[in-house]
Amino acid sequence: MTTIASMTNMRLKFPGVESLLFEDFSLSFEKGEKVLILGPSGSGKSTLLQVLTGLIPSAVAVPMKADALTIPESWGFLFQDPDAQFCMPYVDEEIAFVLENLQIPREEMEQYIDHYLHQVGLRFDDNHTKIQTLSGGMKQRLAIASVLALEPELLCLDEPTAMLDPEGTKLVWDTIKNVGNDKTVVIVEHKIEQVVDFVDRVILLDENGTIIADGPKQQVFDQYKHVLIEQGIWYPGVWEDYMQDKSRHIPQSVNTEDAKPAVHLSDFSAFRGKVKALQVEEARAHPGEWVTILGENGAGKSTLLLAMMNLLKTTGTYKIFEQDYKRIKHLAEYVSFVFQNPEFQFVTNSVYEEIAFSLHLAKWEQEKIARRVDEMLKLYYLEDYRHTHPYQLSMGQKRRLSVAASIVKEQPIILLDEPTFGQDAKNTFAILEQLEQLRAQGTTIIMVTHDLNIVKNFATKVWRMEDGELVMESPAPNDIETLQPAVIS
Amino acid sequence: MAMDFSYKETWLHKINPSLKLLIMVLLFIHLLMIHNTNILINYMIGMLALYLFFTGHPWKRLLVISIPFLLIFLTSSTSMIFFGKGEITWAKWGLVHITEESFFRGLHLGFRGISFAILGIVFALTTRPVYLFYSLMQQFKLKPKYAYSFMAAIRLIPLMIEEMQTLHYALQVRGVQGERGVNGFYRKIKSYSIPLLSQSIRRAYRIAVAMEAKRFSNHGNRTYFYRLGFSKFDVIFLCYLLVIIPLSYVTATHFPYFSITDVRFGS
Repeated sequence: MTTIASMTNMRLKFPGVESLLFEDFSLSFEKGEKVLILGPSGSGKSTLLQVLTGLIPSAVAVPMKADALTIPESWGFLFQDPDAQFCMPYVDEEIAFVLENLQIPREEMEQYIDHYLHQVGLRFDDNHTKIQTLSGGMKQRLAIASVLALEPELLCLDEPTAMLDPEGTKLVWDTIKNVGNDKTVVIVEHKIEQVVDFVDRVILLDENGTIIADGPKQQVFDQYKHVLIEQGIWYPGVWEDYMQDKSRHIPQSVNTEDAKPAVHLSDFSAFRGKVKALQVEEARAHPGEWVTILGENGAGKSTLLLAMMNLLKTTGTYKIFEQDYKRIKHLAEYVSFVFQNPEFQFVTNSVYEEIAFSLHLAKWEQEKIARRVDEMLKLYYLEDYRHTHPYQLSMGQKRRLSVAASIVKEQPIILLDEPTFGQDAKNTFAILEQLEQLRAQGTTIIMVTHDLNIVKNFATKVWRMEDGELVMESPAPNDIETLQPAVIS
Repeated sequence: MAMDFSYKETWLHKINPSLKLLIMVLLFIHLLMIHNTNILINYMIGMLALYLFFTGHPWKRLLVISIPFLLIFLTSSTSMIFFGKGEITWAKWGLVHITEESFFRGLHLGFRGISFAILGIVFALTTRPVYLFYSLMQQFKLKPKYAYSFMAAIRLIPLMIEEMQTLHYALQVRGVQGERGVNGFYRKIKSYSIPLLSQSIRRAYRIAVAMEAKRFSNHGNRTYFYRLGFSKFDVIFLCYLLVIIPLSYVTATHFPYFSITDVRFGS
């Protein structure tokens, strides 16, 4: 076997950070290997890929030193964010950008563009299609096509599906497996369900960037399972282990026959501009219910939440505890909303102020505010960060803060737009447990999610959306398979 | 949010973008040197014809875009009409002093403002930024580094608009109420700009790394997906201007709308 990429005694330090991220780090990859790198956030997985391809230090100026460094002649890099990979507005132009860089003559470009698009299974009537109009999964496949145009020996993938829905994730991994077969592939990923049968070697890093384990996948998974759990990695079977470990009872559907509904929608529609974007014939959510909204991308799930928050123009009946929402002066007293991107929700300069914000608005007494905020800080494991700026928190902390800040007033109804999106297993379970506690106390939870495990293990009710219409209201099934076809079709 | 901005391609779209840009700049400078309102009006009509009939955009859109034109006309002309200097007084109320000279100078300024706006908007409506930058690289030897940076930046704009909408909702949900006055304005700017900027800076940085990962570099030659040269449409455009501009001078001399031929004060 020939070594395709390697580093010996690599040291690397980020400016402004006390300690070295990597110290005397050595690693090598053989031609044709399929390698998965695992590790907690901050362990330098992405950095490692960038060193491996020479992006550090040539494109990203980070001080780095190594005794020996072998960088493959041709490599391709697939990044996480579908919107931050492209520099051109149209599909054909984007692939042409790579071809231009490689100085392919113009006459041959069209042919190459067709070829690479075909390889990733994308077909357009006209390749001159706006990238903006593509779904996340299609964008990532386009990114793969433009990476393939580099004819790489080594393919580096940095969590390429972290921002995709299940359908997109599946298609992207299928594509990668398809095109990566004859290449060396190094993958950084924490949701490994789709990848695990593709890779043969697993490298496990700890938070200091040291290798804990490096070997055949089965061996690593068997011997280091506790580390995977500890690090919050989505290894296969994580849900089963979690449910067993907690020995939680499956949430019972509350008796909804005689209870007053917290939310009642009837012949309810919402408009974006002049276009009707949502139609709900009839739907109810009761106190103590956990409703998950399912549906494909663009089916109107987020629109439904926005409409219930009265952020869109609506018609029809929408009652909160049997009161018409138009009669309610401050909807925010009853309903709280957690957005998908926590950063957009932050309005103050410290974690403490962030949680206290709505209490200040509600003119609570200082002392009462302090007590309540302390309570929330403790509950959401943010005590040590009370003076930190919200932007400086980690992904998981930001998410917990955004939930804490939204629900601090104990509103009886909580709307959440994919709150576990992009979170590791540990954070996901932490958030779900907190929501479950609230639910048990009688809060109504209405949540958009793609994660069917949440539906199975936490939800009591499912609303299914299709083409902007709520087509079905049903109790949450205990069997995931019955949900599958509707979501991954 | 998908913005539909489709249009029919006309001969104005097919002009070499660099040439078009150069001519526009020259026309701007030339416009500053016209002091005869009669010429300016004819000139404006000539450019208005381009705007109305040859941009290939639907009527409704053209009408909407022209609303700010009128605003430009009103603001720039009225301030001069009301407060400009002049000797032949028409009316006077306190600070407001309308004279014949100031009236015509005001009109002139208004027409000039409109002409500027029309030229600019005709250019913007008929030029795809991507073609412009390809052409600038090919005709004016603009460094690819700058050209592609601009093109990548343009891609960020619709993303930012979308994020701004989300941010607006989020702030509304949190109960952030618009305060009045300077303080409130400052706070509003802050609550929008910091999240938007932080997101954009991060994204721009990632795009830059992604571009380098696709072997974009400053040295070495590159080939071009679009090759932009010159065509008969460039000649048509030049001919159009070569007819319209002299014609506006000639008709202004023979069939003037007003007797004033120079609106500058004291001449």
